[in-house]
Amino acid sequence: MKNMKPFTRGLVLMLLGHLVGYGVGLGLDTLVSGRMNFTASIAGFFSLVVGVALFFHGLVGYRTITRGIVWQILGTLGGALFVTGIRALMGLKTFGPPFLFTEPAWVFGGLAGVICFLLGHGVVDDWIRMARGLDVPEHRADAPGWEKFYSPSLDHKVIGVQYTITALVLLVVGGTFALIFRTELAASGLQFLTTDFKLFSQNGLQFYNTLMSLHGMIMIVSILLGIAGLMNYLVPLLIGAHDMAFPRLNAFSFWIAPPAAVLLLSSLVLGGFDTGWTGYPPLSAKAPLGMQMFFLGVFVAGWSSILGALNLIATVLRMRAKGMTAFRLPIFVWAAIATSIISLTATQLIGLSFQMVMFQRLFGMGFFDPAKGGSPVLFQHLFWFYSHPAVYVFILPGLGVVSELLPVFVRKPLFGYKWIAMSSLAIALVGFLVWAHHMFTSGMNEYLRVPFMYSTLLVAIPTGVKFFSWVATIWKGKISTPMPSAFLFVVGAIVVFLMGGLSGPPNATVSTDLHLHDTYWIVGHFHDTLFGGFVFPFFAALYYWFPKATGRRLNETLGRWHFWLMTPAFFTLSLGMMRIGLLGMRRRIADYDPLQGFDPTHLVLTIAAFAIALSVLIFIINLVVSLKRGEPAEGNIWNSRSPEWQVASPMPAHNYDTPFEVVGEPYDYGLPGSKYVEFAKK
Amino acid sequence: MTHTQTKSSALTQGIIIFVFLAVLTALEFGIALLLNSLVLLTLVALVKAGLVMYYYMHIYKLNQDEHGEGHDSYAYKTGTNRLGLWLFLLSDAFVFGGLLVSRFNLLGMTRPHLNQTLGLAVTAVLLISSFFMNRAETSIAHGDRKGFLNGTLITMLLGLGFVVGVVGLEWQLAKIEEVIASKDVVGAIFYMMTGMHAFHVLTGVILLFTVWNKGRKGLYSAEKHWGVEAATVYWHFVDVVWIFFYPALYLIGTLAI
Repeated sequence: MKNMKPFTRGLVLMLLGHLVGYGVGLGLDTLVSGRMNFTASIAGFFSLVVGVALFFHGLVGYRTITRGIVWQILGTLGGALFVTGIRALMGLKTFGPPFLFTEPAWVFGGLAGVICFLLGHGVVDDWIRMARGLDVPEHRADAPGWEKFYSPSLDHKVIGVQYTITALVLLVVGGTFALIFRTELAASGLQFLTTDFKLFSQNGLQFYNTLMSLHGMIMIVSILLGIAGLMNYLVPLLIGAHDMAFPRLNAFSFWIAPPAAVLLLSSLVLGGFDTGWTGYPPLSAKAPLGMQMFFLGVFVAGWSSILGALNLIATVLRMRAKGMTAFRLPIFVWAAIATSIISLTATQLIGLSFQMVMFQRLFGMGFFDPAKGGSPVLFQHLFWFYSHPAVYVFILPGLGVVSELLPVFVRKPLFGYKWIAMSSLAIALVGFLVWAHHMFTSGMNEYLRVPFMYSTLLVAIPTGVKFFSWVATIWKGKISTPMPSAFLFVVGAIVVFLMGGLSGPPNATVSTDLHLHDTYWIVGHFHDTLFGGFVFPFFAALYYWFPKATGRRLNETLGRWHFWLMTPAFFTLSLGMMRIGLLGMRRRIADYDPLQGFDPTHLVLTIAAFAIALSVLIFIINLVVSLKRGEPAEGNIWNSRSPEWQVASPMPAHNYDTPFEVVGEPYDYGLPGSKYVEFAKK
Repeated sequence: MTHTQTKSSALTQGIIIFVFLAVLTALEFGIALLLNSLVLLTLVALVKAGLVMYYYMHIYKLNQDEHGEGHDSYAYKTGTNRLGLWLFLLSDAFVFGGLLVSRFNLLGMTRPHLNQTLGLAVTAVLLISSFFMNRAETSIAHGDRKGFLNGTLITMLLGLGFVVGVVGLEWQLAKIEEVIASKDVVGAIFYMMTGMHAFHVLTGVILLFTVWNKGRKGLYSAEKHWGVEAATVYWHFVDVVWIFFYPALYLIGTLAI
């Protein structure tokens, strides 16, 4: 065991943990239910958490993240036992199948688990010392090597990498879920997720619903972490700061996400839920226990988003280098600000709406229960007040990456810098006024429809500004061949996002949306916007800045394979979805009528989905291989004007050894003698 | 309002603002009794919130320019911290805003059956606590540690008194009046709003306790007391929330059946 590589040791221990956890859970379940149920929820829960804990134990030993997860498990059980004890005293139900504990016990336990994770991991140690009036050093040296990525490092670059890796892990998890239910959809009729299928207190159909719902939310959390990774890593470098404004808050914002991910995943084993990612009551008020773990997980993950946004706004407002005025900021920073304005404020509303459903389930508070005078439509208002602007949270940083990289690769100034900067803000601000276009068919007051239709269509204007600028920037640019993978993904982002953008107005227009609502057309549309607005630019950013973070390039051949496999597969997927959507395929369902003739298209969609998964696998292999054996990247490999490329890669702990001053416009590529930044002499 | 303000004039200003707030609260009560006008009640609440935010929370300090002193100076870092705190309050305000929206969406122009005397009493307690909070901060800003410790202690006790008044008394009395969380949406809204607010008051008390404890150890001075300022601003924020919640729950509209 000792001689193994940490990762192998982690995997071996994880398998062992799954087995041990399964055994413990099965035993407990047998104890309370009186019969052996090999697919019991509790067995799944213990198998999941013990496996994860032992995986990290193999990787880093019993410290930082491992201790956090162990404390989370103990905290969850302790909290659940505490509530169970109180219930016993009150003469209420205590233990019982199928989930061992009662719902209030699980909810309290889940929350206590998150707090225990933070205490066990050590990310709040400094704050506790401060509160007690003890001395806390301003800076803390990082653990050497890989260990720093599991510990509460205060370096924004380490935190950026932590975010990015977690985002990729969740991307794989969410993608795997999609592949499972996509396989079920490949033909009409039920193939393997049948009513005979039994797993974690769910039958095949329920399990389909759970996977479909979790695919949505896990991908959303993955995107939120992905953009947070980009913003954390890049923004301080781009504005010349030595770190974020609040390094401890920054570490906290990241480390609250892993326990949230554990909660989200535990909803899969604790009975699942069948509402889709939106969690609408009244269905969510009746769904199994998994619903509560889902709500709690999203609530906790929301704090990561809120606090990260707070930190970012403060950083940009307070930590800029000399001469970096508002209109000399890199365009990505404008996008990050626009995104953060939404995350900071609107996220509270999804948290509140989920909290209200949780209380409705726990205490019978009838906010959304018509029998008690409540209103399910109110939930949708509160929910979409965040969840529509949230899509701008997902795409604005990606569009910022496109605007940031395009001038580098076409060697021309960015067309209409101020317009682009303002368009990001405009999208964010208009985004606050459009939420009810998700509710045209919900039974809300009819007079609200037309105003929300127009405000939604208004978003097309600032988005159009961006496209206009990109096209004008590319126009007569000097594109070198072969195009680097980063550039391929930038172009891919523009084309895919254009498709997502064009398929938007039909959904914003009341008359057409009444027919398109809840069809695969919508599914195709938003996969387009999120691939164009996040996935493609995210990969572009990884190909572009990986050398900055590691000092090595990603492999270009594998990069091209990645791109040329993913792009056509994705076009097939989204266009196919839109096609059957227009023909009447309902979204979210496990089965469809063979007479509708969708079988061939669905089969193609499934194959396309597997092709996308394969391309992502190629990328991950590329990532792992290039980390050790990639071609060394020295100096300004992209010939960029941006400050971070004027110094060596990877960057030292506190970024720039000598401060720089901004002396010119950021994107004057191709203009002789122009300068953006000037470094002070040592 | 600047550093040049003497201690006695700062304390006097605190008293004047307190009197204004008290008179406005009485006015509010009178409006509810005589006119029951949503517009007037909203206006009074906005004026009260504005007074607290300007004179007690010193929102204008966000606009202070510390650039002359370099990014690593205490003054500049305090400015950054202040911005961070206000951003947090902005975010938190959306929770309370969402609760107000839910209240008016679900209850409209009706309100729960509550004990008016107790409502006015807890409102007064919170208002008085804000006054002492302001005194505590003013004291430490002028180097008076004893005044600061006493002011903070009184604020904490009044804060606990508020929680006891709301959770210990009002919740029990409301039950008798058939305002029950699981009975209907009126009860649900009442317990959710007061509960969320009481939770914030409690976290405020915990913050004040850490600040008081650190003050006892002599860790704050007239020049360096960001921790005190943070706890103070948070405390006043919780008060501002109640400035809106009080009329929304007790004064606006007619009684729900």
